[in-house]
Amino acid sequence: MNPSQPSGIGAPSWLTADKLFTWVIMAFLIIILALFLLYPVIDICRLSFIKDGSFTLKNYVDYFSEPRIFRSFYNSLFVSTVTMVVTTVLAFLFAYGLTRTTMPGKGFFYLVSTLPLIAPTIIQALALILLFGRNGVITRYLLDTSWNIYGAAGIIVGETLYCFPNALFILYTTLSAVDTRLDEAAQSLGASALKTFFKVTLPSAKYGIASAAALTFNLTITDFGIPVVIGGDYSVLATEIVNKVFGLQRFDLGATISVILLVPSITAFAVNYYLTRKSYAMISGQARPFIQPSRPLKKWAFTIYSAFISSCILLVFVTVFLGSFVKTWPYDFSLTLKHFDFPSLGASVPLWTDFWNSVLPPGDFRTMIAIKYAPIWTSLLVSIVVAVLGASITLLAAYIIEKKKPRGEQLLYGLSVLPAAIPGVVLGLGYVLAFNKPYFLIYGTIWIIIINIVIANFTLGVLSGTANLKQIDKSVEEAAVSLGAGPVTTFTRIVFPLSRVAFLSTTTFYFMRAMTTISAVLFLVSAQIKLAAIEIIFLDVDGRTASANAMCTVVVIIVAIFLVVMRVTTGSSGLTGMVKSR
Amino acid sequence: MGRDLRLENLTKCYGGLTAVDHVNLEIKEGEFICFLGPSGCGKTTVLRMITGFETVTMGSVIFDNQVINDLIPKKRQFGIVFQSYALFPNMTVEENIAFGLKMRKMPKKDIADRVDRMLELIGLSDWRKLYPAQLSGGQQQRVALVRALAPDPQVLLLDEPLSALDAKIRLRLRAEIKRLQQELKKTMIHVTHDQEEALSIADRVVVMEKGQFRQVGRPIDIYKNPSCNFVADFVGTSNFFEGRRKGDVVDIGRRKIKVTRNGGGAEEAVTLAIRPENVEVFKGDSLPQVPEPMNLVKGRIEVVVFQGAAVRLLIQTGGEEIISDIVEKDFEQRSLRQGDQVHVYCPPESYLVFPAGEGKA
Repeated sequence: MNPSQPSGIGAPSWLTADKLFTWVIMAFLIIILALFLLYPVIDICRLSFIKDGSFTLKNYVDYFSEPRIFRSFYNSLFVSTVTMVVTTVLAFLFAYGLTRTTMPGKGFFYLVSTLPLIAPTIIQALALILLFGRNGVITRYLLDTSWNIYGAAGIIVGETLYCFPNALFILYTTLSAVDTRLDEAAQSLGASALKTFFKVTLPSAKYGIASAAALTFNLTITDFGIPVVIGGDYSVLATEIVNKVFGLQRFDLGATISVILLVPSITAFAVNYYLTRKSYAMISGQARPFIQPSRPLKKWAFTIYSAFISSCILLVFVTVFLGSFVKTWPYDFSLTLKHFDFPSLGASVPLWTDFWNSVLPPGDFRTMIAIKYAPIWTSLLVSIVVAVLGASITLLAAYIIEKKKPRGEQLLYGLSVLPAAIPGVVLGLGYVLAFNKPYFLIYGTIWIIIINIVIANFTLGVLSGTANLKQIDKSVEEAAVSLGAGPVTTFTRIVFPLSRVAFLSTTTFYFMRAMTTISAVLFLVSAQIKLAAIEIIFLDVDGRTASANAMCTVVVIIVAIFLVVMRVTTGSSGLTGMVKSR
Repeated sequence: MGRDLRLENLTKCYGGLTAVDHVNLEIKEGEFICFLGPSGCGKTTVLRMITGFETVTMGSVIFDNQVINDLIPKKRQFGIVFQSYALFPNMTVEENIAFGLKMRKMPKKDIADRVDRMLELIGLSDWRKLYPAQLSGGQQQRVALVRALAPDPQVLLLDEPLSALDAKIRLRLRAEIKRLQQELKKTMIHVTHDQEEALSIADRVVVMEKGQFRQVGRPIDIYKNPSCNFVADFVGTSNFFEGRRKGDVVDIGRRKIKVTRNGGGAEEAVTLAIRPENVEVFKGDSLPQVPEPMNLVKGRIEVVVFQGAAVRLLIQTGGEEIISDIVEKDFEQRSLRQGDQVHVYCPPESYLVFPAGEGKA
């Protein structure tokens, strides 16, 4: 008896439904990334090379032949290099204390070290100015010196504080993963403690160290918030881009400097990425062995060191909090709430006015809520939408990359990790160049801001998602399919619930980034659509330092509340989730 | 003719590598088949082609006289039990079992009845509200078993379902699977690398090596009449001798061995195999009375391994090492000791003769 073919010979293979699902999502993701990541960056490159319709290097020649502008290139490299060295050394010692000694208070030190992540980068600069600025309590009153921190020193100290937790994560992971029994073996063979450190501990952590250094370099050279506030006349690439665009309306020069900035930032990113892979390859899955009790001298030296670093980080927060509650820093330390009555910069009708006008009676209170607090409401809305949208879309991308592995998956993966290499200022400028056209209907709405933040932080979301999905057994999905579930049901009923923890930690991460990011969205805010983090800069530039502090305090409090709410309602800490995914 | 499953020249290639090489098999409805082989032999790949999770490179999978190569797994309605259980950790025991029924859009009332019946079948009715993580490995695999059975699949496929379990639980669950199979009369295809498991559970065993079926047969035939070296070696333990056969005598160099199964007239290279339980041991220096004195060889007990009901002896006979299993009672009675001088006798009828080198890894 000849077996008959099922109806519809040459019918598509069974994989079709599944493949269709995969391809539709992959096509969607690639189009999104091509449009909102590649296109703006390409547009910047195009503008920097083309003048009056023909290819030219004139912009670059101009740039490198004008000493004042060329200085910003040198300055950027200088502060980034110094910050890189200082931060890596400090963070390594801190990580060593946390992982290799039996010092007390590890949990507290660790928690404090993560604090800089919940604030806009600018908080470091604001605090340094209050402490060491022209009217700084320490410079002016304690030391009575005319020296102040503006310029390179301020940028380096500020960036070091900001980059510290990022470098620490990498080094902490590296040092906890390297087998401490190697150290014990070396010592049992007669090596002194110091020799063991230099011959065994340090070399085994080399990839982690280099990767932390590269990340620090990348973060510093791409940051805008700290140099704009504390840099003074000391110009760096990121501030120079903004100067050219905002000050001179020279988009072509801004684009040129952007391309120049892309070179070191992409290099640093690539180095970091390559080394992270390498260092993870060295991590063995074995349980962490017991740490020998440290000798008293070592123990206390690391305790004092960690306490000192933690104090510096806490001091930043305390200073800015204080700065927002005292009448006139540093002359009059009586407490007041007046700085929270934010001045409204420029005439504008913010997004929320109609809404508040309809729910609140007219008066000062309504003015404050409707006009003065408008940036905060907008930031909140943007952050919530970004959190949900960003976490969803990156999880979907991670699912396709990790579990479906379709043809072209490499392209999607490449596009997904690329955003971490593109400086926020560059991506923001690219958005202006690419989308400020009448037919891009979302330009000028909050949606362009939302998309920008989602794309700019795509990398970490995808990496955290793939790390989590790796842990889900492939059989679980196959079980669902064999029981009759289609690809969509499998994703919604099985994969998504199992990725809940990663999803929530990505949500938290996106929320924090949306509340605190400055550089990426600087070019996208307008008179109607203002964001709290950007207002800090405008308030500071406008000379209203105390209000800038107050706005910064509000942002920190909102992020802190969000973290607590997430912790209480879901039992997962977003911060630890992010640590794991690094 | 029932709803039989047929594999015709089924082949799977990964790049230049052939994982499954033109295999043919007919599985009757209600039959319990076991694929047995070392890891990497392609047994799981065959199973996955039957389930539809692996595409077929060449040949066909035929079910109920229909080629189902291109049928999506959902439409095949085959149940699968995985080595790692693969229960949905976010669902309770009953939600797990109900999942497949919901996907088939069964009415709510029927789902509840069916879930109850399934839970009874494995005696886990009191555990229905628990999550998989709260169950032991054995319980989880039982749930996975009825989850796959609940939608009344045409065929149940089990991919090394017992490998992740402790020895004791493995034995119990093995018996339970056999009982379920007899009760439900389902066609079941079970994949394992554990020969004892395969022999004890299946109606027919398929021994696989290097992507090919070496032997297909009842467990007793596989054990007693292995078709080649590989099967004799992989299933159970065997003593092997290489030699040249002429008539019913095999010359293995040091001595000659008489066998009963004779081939053609021409001399040929062969491999002899004999099971340890067929090797007889006589204590002392004096020659024992045996039917075929040519097959007697002198030796010394080198190692004694106590194995519970049997005792395994490693006997050194000048250049050869022969393994003999004797019943523990016998061992006691004859007070055999390590270092004892013995005579070893292998009856001609117990020797299996294979062409040399066939199926040897």
